Amino acid sequence: MLQSLFKNVWVPMKPYYTQVYQEIWVGMELMGFIVYKIGNDYKRNKALKTLSPALACGHH
Amino acid sequence: MNENLFTSFTTPTMMGLPIVVLIIMFPSILFPSPSRLINNRLVSLQQWLVQLTSKQMLAIHSHKGQTWALMLMSLILFIGSTNLLGLLPHSFTPTTQLSMNLGMAIPLWAGTVVTGFRYKTKASLAHFLPQGTPIPLIPMLVIIETISLFIQPVALAVRLTANITAGHLFMHLIGGAALALTNISASIALITFIILILLTILEFTVALIQAYVFTLLVSLYLHDNT
Repeated sequence: MLQSLFKNVWVPMKPYYTQVYQEIWVGMELMGFIVYKIGNDYKRNKALKTLSPALACGHH
Repeated sequence: MNENLFTSFTTPTMMGLPIVVLIIMFPSILFPSPSRLINNRLVSLQQWLVQLTSKQMLAIHSHKGQTWALMLMSLILFIGSTNLLGLLPHSFTPTTQLSMNLGMAIPLWAGTVVTGFRYKTKASLAHFLPQGTPIPLIPMLVIIETISLFIQPVALAVRLTANITAGHLFMHLIGGAALALTNISASIALITFIILILLTILEFTVALIQAYVFTLLVSLYLHDNT
């Protein structure tokens, strides 16, 4: 299966993936970074929200 | 009938497993690859359509811009087929998800911008200031042009999402209204049904137009930078 994938996909598309789409790979890295930042901030805010009521209860 | 208006926009699962990747890959099955010199009617029709679209879209591009032909043609075929398949009843349309449209818009826009800065740095920087600007307005205009540059991918994604989502919601509402009105007044239900048919025809055109607009704008951003 990998052999047919290599022959039918990678061989014809190699000039595109290696030369033409170099800038698009940079764009995809940027998008990945944005997704990571948003996901990380969401997890951090969620964790803070669950912690802060617990802290508030502890101070009573 | 769905429980509420927005259940058709939730990412689909089958037995607990998300099948959204399968749904995104599905339209590719509908485009058979040409394997012979002279193909059957369907493949010949597909080739003719792709040739017509690509000639029209790539006429303005330089040699560097024309290397993006495969990407632009794949983009218009993918968005067009996904939008059209979403008009089938009870189907899921991936292009209603902002995440998916941002996932298409940001890499392509960033690709065009990086291409511009890499091969034509001075011309790309010159885009931040329109020709003939009065000197007192220069700082403000540079800020405005920078903001308009960074808004481009967001506008691309939100335009597609909003158009397709709004169309689907509207069809859902009008369809629900037509069904509810059948017990109340048959004539008004008939008028609502005719409106629904006209709306469906409009949605077919919107599906194709939005695919064309998305691809054309990416092509224009590329043209500005090559």
